[in-house]
Amino acid sequence: MLTYLARRIGQSLLTVFLTLTTVFLLVRLAPGDPAAAYAGPTATSADLDAVRAKFGLDEPLVNQYGIFLRDLFTGNLGTSYSFHSPAFDVVMSRMPYTITLAVSAIAVTALVAVPLGVWMARRADTKRELGANVLTIAGQSMPDFWTGVMLLTVFAVLLPVLPASGFTSWSGLVLPTVTVAVLQLALVSRLVRREMTTALAAPYTTVARSRGVAERALAWRYGLRNSAVPLLTALGTRFAALLNGVVVVEVVFGWPGVGSLVVRALATRDYPLIQATVLVTATLAILVQLLVDLAYPLLDPRVRLGKAA
Amino acid sequence: MTEHTTPLLDVTDLQVELITARGVVRAVDGVSFTVHRGETVTLIGESGSGKSTTAMGVLRLLPDGLAVLSGSVRIAGRDVVADPGVAHAVRGRTVSLIPQDPMTALSPVHTIGRQLGDALRLRHPELSRTQARARGVELLAQVHITKPETRWKAYPHQFSGGMLQRILIAIALAGEPELLVADEPTSALDATVQASILDLLMELQERTGIGMLMITHDLGVARLVSDRIHVMKDGRFVESGPAEQIVARPAAPYTRELLSAVPRLGAWDEGEPVRQGAAS
Repeated sequence: MLTYLARRIGQSLLTVFLTLTTVFLLVRLAPGDPAAAYAGPTATSADLDAVRAKFGLDEPLVNQYGIFLRDLFTGNLGTSYSFHSPAFDVVMSRMPYTITLAVSAIAVTALVAVPLGVWMARRADTKRELGANVLTIAGQSMPDFWTGVMLLTVFAVLLPVLPASGFTSWSGLVLPTVTVAVLQLALVSRLVRREMTTALAAPYTTVARSRGVAERALAWRYGLRNSAVPLLTALGTRFAALLNGVVVVEVVFGWPGVGSLVVRALATRDYPLIQATVLVTATLAILVQLLVDLAYPLLDPRVRLGKAA
Repeated sequence: MTEHTTPLLDVTDLQVELITARGVVRAVDGVSFTVHRGETVTLIGESGSGKSTTAMGVLRLLPDGLAVLSGSVRIAGRDVVADPGVAHAVRGRTVSLIPQDPMTALSPVHTIGRQLGDALRLRHPELSRTQARARGVELLAQVHITKPETRWKAYPHQFSGGMLQRILIAIALAGEPELLVADEPTSALDATVQASILDLLMELQERTGIGMLMITHDLGVARLVSDRIHVMKDGRFVESGPAEQIVARPAAPYTRELLSAVPRLGAWDEGEPVRQGAAS
């Protein structure tokens, strides 16, 4: 167990490191000049040189990378060009909002998609199941900016019951949560439906039925419980993805999370801020995956960590 | 068995039609038989003869949309074909199933104690978890599971097939049934384990007077446990009678074929019947 954990943590550190290196190179390969973005349209070439010198961008790439690594190991992720404060602090000030939205969206997804999937499995191949499928797939097919704008139009403009933008009260969480959850519903409910259908056709279900277990208990106790591993995997993957920030939804709703921060960091070519964002979100995503993996043996006693990995 | 007692199981002209990809298959074509208290009645036949379909039809465990039943199946006098609600009412109380493959018959993510405890509490909702556990441990001891207290919390994958079949027998007994339907209870087990499971079933029958419907393709099993045997082929009974008579003086050519198929050391060219048909 400890060996497994040590190996997984080692792998995770390597993954984060490689991700950071890739991002370091990609932002510098991409067109655009942070100095120009920083100094503004009226800057002279002398101004630009001064800015580059200030940020260390006049150094050769290899040296920049060396400095980046040296700073990284001392816990310094650099100063954001546009915020004029440590990039790490800027990212961390946004994380609570992203985490709040991610937790709330995944919770709503699970609370709706799991019972819906169970319901669909129990009415497999009926017209009502088809109807549920059509509705969730329609939700998945609608682009999030469109869903978001429609929800805003209805619930913030036509019937002004919810705030349109920002996070001033908990009611501001409702529309972004719904917009994100609508995208996940089809995926998760159909996964539950598929896994449940398999479990409900398994011999142990028939044998349980033969000893008088009611259909409802068969679905929830035997069917859903035997579908727990793939369900947790799907929810974990979705959750990790949401932690990276839901860029479009955050922009539509003026949500002060990491997603809208990334948009701004990219627009201003704010290298330290981009790198700090990637470090934090990648670490969180990997942590979530690790927790999901650690939960497998609790959900399925046949899984032994580190044996087949 | 006197004439005027109601049989535990009274099947009259049962037909089962299965809807398959290749059309409707009449898997069971009008069979009639009875099982009384303390009696073992065996349906014997090869794969596809309809014997397992008959057993699952009796319990109404065939998928609703894929199987159509007609005729009548009276369990303790109540017809499960006419009223599916009766099947819900008698399963796990009047009648229990011992399944074909013990390795897949228990939920892999629940402990055996949980599954046995649930079965006990379904029959006796007034039992607390602790009381159910005490009863369950007793039942496990009755089916000769050693150290039942420590095994209560074990998962199915931690047991051998033979032990799982004993546990499944304990779970079937949890409902205090009057009738056991044993659907090839030994065919997934090693030969040495088979005998011990059959011994256990006969021991239970002697003690409790339970009636048993045994499904098998194995004439050795049938000879050992049965009072009466029905030989089944293509959904019909080709021969029925007391066990000794069927084995000693088979009348139908198919029964003789089945008897000659019992493996023994001999010439290679001895008949090995292979038939095609609906899955059993």
